[in-house]
Amino acid sequence: MHGTWTLIKLIIRRERLITPAWILLLAVLAAGQANRYAQAFSTPQSIADFAREMTANKALTAFAGEVYSPTIAGMAIWKNADAIYTILALIAILTVVRHTRSEEESGRAELLGAGVIGRLAPLTAALTVTATSMLLAGIVTAFSMIKLGFDVTGSLAFGAAITGIGLVFTGIGALAAQLTEGARTAIGLAAMGLGLSYLLRFVADGGAGAAVKWASPQGWSHLVQPYAANDLAALLPSLALTLATIAAAYRLNARRDLGHGVLAQRPGPAQARHLSSPLALAWRLHKGLLTGWSIGYTIAGLALGALALSIPEVSRQGASVQEFLRRYTASPEAGMTDAYLWLISLSLGYVAALYPLLVLLRLRAEETTGRAELLLAHPVGRLRWAWSHLVFALAGPVVILGLAGLAMGVAAGDPLSVLPGTLVQVPAVWVLAGVGMLAFGVLPRAAAAISWAAFLFVNLFGEVLGPIIGIDYWIAKYFVPFPNLPMVLSGEAFSAVPLLVMAALTAVLTAAGLTALNRRALV
Amino acid sequence: MNTAIAVQGLHKSFGKAHALDALDLTVHTGEVHGFLGPNGAGKSTTIRILLGLMRADSGSVRLLGGDPWKDAAELHRRLAYVPGDVNLWPSLTGGEVIDLLGRIRGGQDRTRRAELLERFELDPRKKARTYSKGNRQKVALVAAFASDAELLILDEPTSGLDPLMEAVFQQCVAEQKALGRTVLLSSHILSEVEALCDRVSIIRAGHTVESGTLSELRHLTMTQISAEISGQIPALPTARNLTTNGRKISFQVDDQDLDKTMLTLAQSGIVSLTSTPPSLEDLFMRHYAAENSSHSAAEKNSHSAAGKTSRYAAKKTSRHAAEKSN
Repeated sequence: MHGTWTLIKLIIRRERLITPAWILLLAVLAAGQANRYAQAFSTPQSIADFAREMTANKALTAFAGEVYSPTIAGMAIWKNADAIYTILALIAILTVVRHTRSEEESGRAELLGAGVIGRLAPLTAALTVTATSMLLAGIVTAFSMIKLGFDVTGSLAFGAAITGIGLVFTGIGALAAQLTEGARTAIGLAAMGLGLSYLLRFVADGGAGAAVKWASPQGWSHLVQPYAANDLAALLPSLALTLATIAAAYRLNARRDLGHGVLAQRPGPAQARHLSSPLALAWRLHKGLLTGWSIGYTIAGLALGALALSIPEVSRQGASVQEFLRRYTASPEAGMTDAYLWLISLSLGYVAALYPLLVLLRLRAEETTGRAELLLAHPVGRLRWAWSHLVFALAGPVVILGLAGLAMGVAAGDPLSVLPGTLVQVPAVWVLAGVGMLAFGVLPRAAAAISWAAFLFVNLFGEVLGPIIGIDYWIAKYFVPFPNLPMVLSGEAFSAVPLLVMAALTAVLTAAGLTALNRRALV
Repeated sequence: MNTAIAVQGLHKSFGKAHALDALDLTVHTGEVHGFLGPNGAGKSTTIRILLGLMRADSGSVRLLGGDPWKDAAELHRRLAYVPGDVNLWPSLTGGEVIDLLGRIRGGQDRTRRAELLERFELDPRKKARTYSKGNRQKVALVAAFASDAELLILDEPTSGLDPLMEAVFQQCVAEQKALGRTVLLSSHILSEVEALCDRVSIIRAGHTVESGTLSELRHLTMTQISAEISGQIPALPTARNLTTNGRKISFQVDDQDLDKTMLTLAQSGIVSLTSTPPSLEDLFMRHYAAENSSHSAAEKNSHSAAGKTSRYAAKKTSRHAAEKSN
């Protein structure tokens, strides 16, 4: 595999900023949380009480996983490990696809392939760098925990669990990249695997049991039980799946032609039937993404809704249970099931915030590839062009959250009961659409970075990063839209005010973005 | 209205880099206008300003009587554009793209579409992601030629086409001209420009250095003369690059001195004579090569209208450079 080392150096050069950044972020998520718990829980008794309350709260264990170790480190990991596993898996997919299929799609691989580069070198280089980053992420996190004085064996086991999930999705990403011709389709395919893995783990910890957990790659990393069993054997399936997917990726890579996928292209229509406006074009471009999200949200809604039936009531005595109820319910009558349903709706909202950002990044991609230039040389105003995509950024969240709400209701026994809870998330999601549009209009070159940063900030700040850096949960109200939503499923009366404020904020951000777009040069 | 494009004193900077520096461009209605210049000279920037994708820093731009920035959408109804680097929606077929672009403009000639697909030998059922550069260009060309636009802006439209398709392209442009349409053709293919263009503008470093009909421009440069004479080789003070080989003689001469030189030569008895008018390539090389010589010399060359000697020097440099690169 001649040229692998050259390609590795090239990838490292391109990743030199982003990889250290996320490795550090993940280490902070683990070590920062542990540091905070060490200060908050001064006695073994207090952390054990906290662990007991959390274990009883199925609404929460579904999100974070089972509590295995009632210690500071164990609880810190319980709180954030699942977020770390999920983010890492996503990063693994994006990184490996970026250096394989995206390179082929753009034709850059062809340019390099004409040099003295072996056929398998690009895949090997991408896998080597991505897998090494996953290993580093585990090592850096483990050593951060050891440095804070936590159990060495447990810390190393946790590091192994992190590397494990990272490797699994490195392999899945590499395999997906061989199957499709488009990088986006490859990412979508691998992300579907991640969604399924998350859902299985969620349902397992929500009450379905350990057997289901063994079906989920994220479950395997959870089953290592760092700071408790430290069972590295749980990572054997991770290792096996990694090797199997990588072997399959190599087989496919060796058999197919450069630039082609395994899933073959069929000839399409010679004439366009309904393609007669920028909006129709935007529908063609966004239909796949919207369908994928709709299916994913419907399946998630059904599974999560079914779980609602088995959420047990818990004693309301403990401090952390009271804190939990204060966050997710607004009336003493609201039960644990109500809190769970609201929490699920909220979580679906937080994740759905990514959808409009992805839509608007496509708008940006239209510009950078020159396709916008081709379109705008026709009698199409820029605003009309931008709106053809904005419509999806704004209406898409209504569709996917609506479907999820209906699915949850159906599974929980009353079809329309959960719908209001998911639909109130829509204006909060719109705010992110506004941020994306403003970034696209004013700072187009930074739009991708701003969009991803905004999504991570909204998702991590209130619950995760804020507390780590000592900012109270409720401060998030001023920076993140979601905590301001009326908890319509758990005892709060519907109030239109916060929703109207968010809609107005979206309108202002969008208008500012569109105005800037109308004035700037297309680049 | 007989001016399709009127650009005067156009300036555009990107940060510290001056992309356009007092660029002038006049395209008359109904003509095919060649837009020439080395890579990075500012051709695409000019075209992007003409399309209202970018705004000029200063200078005046009129396109079909309107302001390309303010009246973009209305003006685009009347023009068709083929980008130099055609990028299409990967999941759409070529046929779908052609129809989409046609419908957005407001209709296209179906018979003409079918005929063009056949002439360009383009399979419209293939997904755009499988097309080569040349085939992507064909998609944009078919969409442009099938439209009823009165102005065609073509930015190096044939850089990916094979010679057969190049010929088809030239026929299509000729047909458009016969229909009374205006074409702005940015190109590097000089034979194409010589074959198609009524007038030519040559730009370099964001500035228009020459503009006029090809015959006007030819007057600015020298004719190559090769002759065999029977008598003594005469003194030829106006000849440049004079080489002699026995009775054979070859040199270059300015058009204004041609008359006098021929008379002198005739007195020595001409046995045979070849006269080669300057090709567009000569013109082109002279301006392109100025890039290679020192900057101040280049400035002088391009700005002094009567600076024949310095032009000649530049030409010499160009030959030299050409030899070197060979």
